[in-house]
Amino acid sequence: MRGRIIHKSDLVKIVEALMKTHRVVAPFAGRGRDSYFDVVTNENKNDIAIHVANPYYPPKRYVFPHMHKLMTIKAGDKPSIEPNCVDEKVAVFGMRSCDVEGVFHLDRFYLGNAFKDTYYEEFRNNLFIVNMVCTDTKTDIDDDCFCVCADAGTAAKAHFDLQLMDLHDESGEFLAVAGSEAGEALISQPFFRKATLAHVSRRKSVLGEVRKRFKTATSWYSAVTKYITHGGEIKDATWKKIGDRCLECGACSYVCPACTCFTVTDRPAGDGTFNRVRVWDACALSGFTRMAGGHNPRKAVHDRRNRRFFRKLSHYFIQREFTMACVGCGRCVRVCHGDIGMPQVVEILRRETAALLQQEKA
Amino acid sequence: MSHPANHGRLCVRGWHVHEVASSPDRLRTPLLRKNGDLVPVTFDEAYDAIAENLSKIKKQSGPDAIGFLDSARVSNEDGYILQKFARTVVGTNNIDQGTSFYRTTTVNVLREMLGIAAATNPLEDVFTSKAIILNEIDIGQQLPTLGGAIIRAHLAGTKLIVVGSRRHRVTEHADIFLNIKPGTELFLYAAMAKIIVDRGLMDLDFIRTRCKGYESFLQNIQSFDILHAAHRCDVAPALIEQAVLLYCQNKPGMLLYPSATADIDHDALSAMVNLVLLSGNLGKKGSGILPLSEHNNAQGGCDMGVMPNCLPGYVKVTDATKRASIEKCWNAVIPQSQGRDAAEMLDSASPIKALWLDRHNPVVSASYKDAVEQIKKMDFVVLQNLFLTKTAQFAHVVLPVAAYGEEDVTFTSTERRVQLAVKAIEPPKGFVSAWQQVVAVANRMGARWDYTSPRNVLAEIAEVVPDYSGVTPENLGRDYGRQWPCTQDLPLGTPILFTESKNSRLFSFATVSMTPPEAGANQEFPFALTFGHSLYYWHQNTLVRHSETLKREYGILLLDFPEGFVEINDEDAKGMSIRDNQKIKIVSPKGSAQTFARVTSEVRKGSIFIPFFLQDVMKTIGRDNVKNTFVRIEKAG
Repeated sequence: MRGRIIHKSDLVKIVEALMKTHRVVAPFAGRGRDSYFDVVTNENKNDIAIHVANPYYPPKRYVFPHMHKLMTIKAGDKPSIEPNCVDEKVAVFGMRSCDVEGVFHLDRFYLGNAFKDTYYEEFRNNLFIVNMVCTDTKTDIDDDCFCVCADAGTAAKAHFDLQLMDLHDESGEFLAVAGSEAGEALISQPFFRKATLAHVSRRKSVLGEVRKRFKTATSWYSAVTKYITHGGEIKDATWKKIGDRCLECGACSYVCPACTCFTVTDRPAGDGTFNRVRVWDACALSGFTRMAGGHNPRKAVHDRRNRRFFRKLSHYFIQREFTMACVGCGRCVRVCHGDIGMPQVVEILRRETAALLQQEKA
Repeated sequence: MSHPANHGRLCVRGWHVHEVASSPDRLRTPLLRKNGDLVPVTFDEAYDAIAENLSKIKKQSGPDAIGFLDSARVSNEDGYILQKFARTVVGTNNIDQGTSFYRTTTVNVLREMLGIAAATNPLEDVFTSKAIILNEIDIGQQLPTLGGAIIRAHLAGTKLIVVGSRRHRVTEHADIFLNIKPGTELFLYAAMAKIIVDRGLMDLDFIRTRCKGYESFLQNIQSFDILHAAHRCDVAPALIEQAVLLYCQNKPGMLLYPSATADIDHDALSAMVNLVLLSGNLGKKGSGILPLSEHNNAQGGCDMGVMPNCLPGYVKVTDATKRASIEKCWNAVIPQSQGRDAAEMLDSASPIKALWLDRHNPVVSASYKDAVEQIKKMDFVVLQNLFLTKTAQFAHVVLPVAAYGEEDVTFTSTERRVQLAVKAIEPPKGFVSAWQQVVAVANRMGARWDYTSPRNVLAEIAEVVPDYSGVTPENLGRDYGRQWPCTQDLPLGTPILFTESKNSRLFSFATVSMTPPEAGANQEFPFALTFGHSLYYWHQNTLVRHSETLKREYGILLLDFPEGFVEINDEDAKGMSIRDNQKIKIVSPKGSAQTFARVTSEVRKGSIFIPFFLQDVMKTIGRDNVKNTFVRIEKAG
């Protein structure tokens, strides 16, 4: 990998270069700590927020849309099926390391096994990722972030096309690293300069400083991964306690960069026409596991709730996908009505299970 | 993320509301009934037909033969323009929210006792509160954003007292759960007041300086006592006592109840407000009483005067002086007598010949027994909606309107927060807001209204409604809306009402009467009925039906119980050898209906829960006197 230097005022040139070939989306700041990804135009390109709270609504939707039309089905005398192909190049400028790791997790799930999901593949092949490393301790990171525990941040190690990092020195320099051939081509443009060894050591010291910002720096995943993988050690009462705090909104799955579940349904469009769509689904909802005959193996809310954590932390899945299905972005913490985001659940499971095990020993 | 009411947390419905605007089966053109069929026409043709027919009916049968109903979900602009049209162009006060019967008790009692019918404190105050009483609402399902806030407040140490006839998710967190018989709140809250007085726990300072009617209240509550209340409510007396102590010894304390309930009567709600006054829990952060509205703009509709007896700003139509000042502003005459409310417009004695419905769907609303027959009889029915609802089969004109997200409008939330809903996407070509359609018709009927943008309407609202006088799009957009009163003197709004300590209007204690209910459970009819919503069968599902995820979740219940269900307690079911999903017959003194039993421990022993979408069952067994419907269950089939 080659390091390059770009001045803050030239960052927009990266966007402009990408806009020639891609639909570019980037984060913008709203009121308070609100922020959102939006399509970049010539009008708003100078308003792109470099240091801003990571938007709630995750950029995973650019490879795995919230609702995606797969095909249009016409019934009647002349039935027909028309596939819906979306062949559009999209570049996400300013994707955070946690979300980059999330895309990698989706890659493993959708493309890493014998069956490849063609819809996902199409989106993924068309995606260009510009990773922005979180370095501003006031805006980029908040108390709910815990990527350092999930081995996803603050600087992504791979899976991006281009990585940018603010070196926070007076000269306004950003360090750029290419992660793909397309990225290499981009950093060969004249508005990038060569990086020096001083820049590299500056990078190290910035990252070292940033780590101190995290409120949750040790999430004790490993203990919980062990309990969940072994099975039987976590008592039903503990899951019940967690389930009682779930209000079944589904948000934890919708905002999770690593959640892969969807459902497929036909949306009536009038005149015997249906749009077959695939829509994000959530394990918090009771319809998620209901079977055709009516039986629901996970009917009680706590049985649904624990599924999320089995899926994300069990060794069986980690083996298959190389990482646990959590990237430490903290979104589930922020959207949860009952305060049972990943770190809270890990803590409840760890404390209650440890206490129970101790009691049993005694 | 930064919104003070939810901090970025949405419920399952919020996550799917976008599917309404994007639904492929939205109405695409206006429809006009010609030779018995609804056929596509242009907007202009539709407006002409409406103006012509309304003018004709007004001339032949008088303005009071025309009625207007809107949904408690439409914007302030829609509500304001519709009532102005009804009052000044048509000339009738027959204007109401379709769901008005739910909130009439709340408006009346709170205005009588406190002077203002709205939540006294912002929702975020649950985090400051030390004790919360949550009365008869499945808040985890009905208002999850607030339900979650209560759970989080409780985890941080706030005491939680849940009162209700049904167990629900938030009940699991309660410090005290008063699992009362349905409809016995009056006895509970009056007895609680009595305990406070007997133990001297009242806030005498507050009562002396801020309240009136205390002496007669003291006499009045002598007739209540804890043992009697415990008997009527069927909960342990010690538990009632503990609840009172928890509420009085942990101040500030809040009381929350659903305003959209038909089950709370005037006296029961008065007893609740008495408790709040007695404990002095008013005018401070973390205190107060919050009527919780499940409709996003029930509060705004009332503020805009979508009521048969009140003009915008709660001015009584019979108040000549105040009416005159609005007439001057509108440069028009307002009829002086009170109009018909929603129920009166649709009951069998109604003389209404023409009806204007803005996104209200009375045909599927179980609250009106005779709606179908009445609407069938009408000479002219105008419907504004996004979809072809069941009411459309009786409509003469159907106008498709812009959806949420396709227009710049304002809504007023359950915490008095007037908020901008900013246009995010373009409406389908030619579609405009409901209020703009009303303006088009008004101008065809001789009005000279020159509103060109929602901004003009909001400016007029600010002029007419004193509490909105500081409301401008800029002011609302600066933060996350403003809580009224938002006046020119108080441009930032008023998060907490009644904070001033003196020289203000006095609050009134109310006297309540303990007349025994007309009917009670007896051997013949041993089960009390309760009615309610659920997370997925939300009201009549007009919106839920257009979301793929919500439809699936709703469909699950329908697949398990394709012909609907009522819920009965597991122990009761065992006693009668009724299994889950067994066909049963519900018999009331008024009639009987067949449905299926869903056996669950969530409902209280001795009561039966009927979800709101089972209109047929509700109609047959009678819900005139909701508080006192008792039934028996028989096996059927």
